[in-house]
Amino acid sequence: MHQPATAIALQYWLKKMGYPRLIIGGFLLVLFILAPITGSDLTTQITNVINRFSWNAVLVLAMVPMIHSGCGLNFGVPLGVLAGLLGGTLAIEMGFTGPMSFVMAILVSTPFAILFGGGYGALLNRIKGGEMMVATYVGLSSVSFMCIMWLLIPYKNPSIVMAYTGEGLRSMFALDSFYAGALSNLLEIDLNRLGINLVIPTGSVVFFALLALAVWAFFHTKTGTAMTAVGSNPIFAKASGINVDRIRILSVILSTWLGAVGVLVYQQGFGFVQLYTAPMNMTMPAVAAVLIGGASVNKASISNVIIGTFLFQGLVTMTPTVITALIHTDVSEVIRIIVSNGMVVYALTRKTEESA
Amino acid sequence: MKGKALVIRLVVLAVVLAVAAAMMVIGRGHSIYLDNKTLEGYEGQDYKAYERIVITVDGEEVAKLGKRERGMATCMGQTFKMSLEITEQKGDEPRIEEVTVALPYNVDGIIINLPAYLAGLPEEAWFSEFVPMVQEEPADEEPLPGEVSDFPMDGTEGMDEGLGDI
Amino acid sequence: MKLKKNFDAVEFLKNNLVPIMFIVICAFCIPLSGLSPSYLLNEIVTRMGRNIFLILSLLIPIMAGMGLNFGMTLGAMAGQIALIFVTDWQIWGIPGVVLAMILSVPFSVLLGLLCGKLMNMAKGREMILGYMMNYFVTGLYQMVVLYFMGSIIPIKHAAIRLPRGFGIRTTVGLANLRQCLDNQFAITIQGVKIPVLSFIIIAVLCVFIIWFRRTKLGQDMRAVGQDMEVAQAAGINVDRTRIIAIIISTVFAGFGMIIYLQNIGNFPTYTAHSQIGMFCIAALLVGGASVEKANISNVFLGVILFHTLFIVAPRAGAAITGNAMIGEYFRVFVSYGVITLALIMYEVKKRRARSQGGQLLAQAQKEGGVQA
Repeated sequence: MHQPATAIALQYWLKKMGYPRLIIGGFLLVLFILAPITGSDLTTQITNVINRFSWNAVLVLAMVPMIHSGCGLNFGVPLGVLAGLLGGTLAIEMGFTGPMSFVMAILVSTPFAILFGGGYGALLNRIKGGEMMVATYVGLSSVSFMCIMWLLIPYKNPSIVMAYTGEGLRSMFALDSFYAGALSNLLEIDLNRLGINLVIPTGSVVFFALLALAVWAFFHTKTGTAMTAVGSNPIFAKASGINVDRIRILSVILSTWLGAVGVLVYQQGFGFVQLYTAPMNMTMPAVAAVLIGGASVNKASISNVIIGTFLFQGLVTMTPTVITALIHTDVSEVIRIIVSNGMVVYALTRKTEESA
Repeated sequence: MKGKALVIRLVVLAVVLAVAAAMMVIGRGHSIYLDNKTLEGYEGQDYKAYERIVITVDGEEVAKLGKRERGMATCMGQTFKMSLEITEQKGDEPRIEEVTVALPYNVDGIIINLPAYLAGLPEEAWFSEFVPMVQEEPADEEPLPGEVSDFPMDGTEGMDEGLGDI
Repeated sequence: MKLKKNFDAVEFLKNNLVPIMFIVICAFCIPLSGLSPSYLLNEIVTRMGRNIFLILSLLIPIMAGMGLNFGMTLGAMAGQIALIFVTDWQIWGIPGVVLAMILSVPFSVLLGLLCGKLMNMAKGREMILGYMMNYFVTGLYQMVVLYFMGSIIPIKHAAIRLPRGFGIRTTVGLANLRQCLDNQFAITIQGVKIPVLSFIIIAVLCVFIIWFRRTKLGQDMRAVGQDMEVAQAAGINVDRTRIIAIIISTVFAGFGMIIYLQNIGNFPTYTAHSQIGMFCIAALLVGGASVEKANISNVFLGVILFHTLFIVAPRAGAAITGNAMIGEYFRVFVSYGVITLALIMYEVKKRRARSQGGQLLAQAQKEGGVQA
């Protein structure tokens, strides 16, 4: 059986891309083509996609270290989000305003992220093989525990506590005088002056690029390669003298910290802080995005993050406008639910190299 | 053996379907509206409303109707039984009549004009369909999934993991 | 002798940590809540009637070694779809409930089949898969109910449709089904209403489960639950047995949801199912079940303890902190916390068993080597 080289190359390429990614990519392409036809402004759409990409990319990046070290999909993202929320609210409580509050929020959230991540990592080390289910419920129960805490911690700043009682934090508050736009307004490129309706939030994109670069560089240090070794073959890693448990904890701390930074980046773009049960809703978009990007339960790279976030956020942004214009019914929410969760289900049913 | 298993399965399926069909017949609910109203000019004749009708269904009094009044009863199944205590004119001794009405399957609300029905007129004279007004959307209804809020947030992934009673 | 007794007490504590913890919390919260015993008892009996059937549906997958069936929500959705049809067709009372149950079966079987097949592709990850299936199928459910019903699937009554002409309203009223099972043969003893028919149905299901354990299929399931490879070697079709376990569970969950909703009397179309799985699993675990072992007594104890806490927590929370929301959050935290704890204990135990097995193997090899 002789096949032309192009056909073989095509097959290889198809296999490498994975069908879900191709389908979603193709769908997105169709949406982009349809957008001008349905009368929506393509450049506005692109602006929206880039914006949402910049909000979410860091959260998606938070998946990578844990997948790398073999801890599976990080369904425990809410833990990192909680550290970020603590950092953000405490920075505001301390009286910082403007972009400075963003820097302080990251600084303050770091010790929490290390603490939460350390404990969480130690727990995950005791339940190797069953990480994902436990992670999900650790996330859920810590979020509901913090629901109580948001009410009990004696915050005083009147712009974030509940207006009528003065006790307990509001479920949502605006960041206008704090770190809203702290990154996205930085070096912003506004092409409206040239008559093109395109705004690029350079600061956020560069910030993500720096973090992604740092993570990439980290994986090429000695500790980073050890992490990859632990993820791909823990027995071999142990035999070659790597402290598997320590490396795993390190990866969890890294993921948690990235989650904390990720939610702060999301908030500075979104302009609001959402507390109480909101952190539970941060998990699935991030997990789905990295999987759409081509990651699997035990393999993920930076390019997976970039492609996945772009595809997923593109889908989320484009479907409401384009599909609604086409069929006069807003089915975007349902499509989003089916795609994102279907993606996770698909990934879970894939066979993985590691059989543990 | 294989054939036998198949037969058993088919029989079970048939029984279940039969039960479902039976449930659809005996469980079909109707609202019945009973009018004590004069029917005018039906084939050139008037059928006068009675002075008073007391309607009892399953031993329970559901309505006491004066002239031009309407009573309501509910009924499951395809036949509606009631007993009527009719006072034709003021001062008359009431007489009791047992009535069984066959109900059309596809009609939810059935209006029966009693004087016409009791006079033994054909169905078109005493029967009419009750068409309810659809109450318009109350303003405070919960949002549908997908229109949760106006701002571009990542909403719940289709499930509300929040609080609630069970 | 005395030492042995002490050991037993410790072991007992260890095995029943969660129920004991709950009894303590309940004992602490009940007086604080200030609720009268008859009110409390009435509430608990009502909740037993409406919840036990749902929770019993979790038992069979546990028997087959597939863990807590987070996918039971699929059955709940099937039940809801059936109820929407029954409401539209105006079938009332007990016939309505029976018809809804029959109608829910094809949907449940289909969804259960899908779930079971996927779980076979993800052996060892059944629980997380079932959990994710909830969300995925919720999307499909919304698609059907919000866009297909009234446009492709005929819905006759405008009263349950959205004003735009298709899709179902956010709340489906079940006024004509409301408590029709509970009120049948109900008896009231000192202000406590006992829904006799509901309890009879629950008893029938209990008997079915006990009987089912002894059938060939039930035995197979237990064998599969013990060790899939051994079962396979013994000639049991493992995949098929597992799929059947999930299908049975899904069908019962659908029935359970119908019983549950006929007690409530209406349901929020798009969210009614979302928390059912979590609360049922939490209740089962509170009753002392674990991921690999659960029986009927766990279900009953769990419902009583969990719902007692559920009833008293908001008031007790308000009494302690002066903020009712704290009690609300507390009970949610407890539900999640119990599940988390049970999952952790299960995974730790599994890991320990595995490493013990490894040690035994190593020892055997060593001894074998000495002998040779």
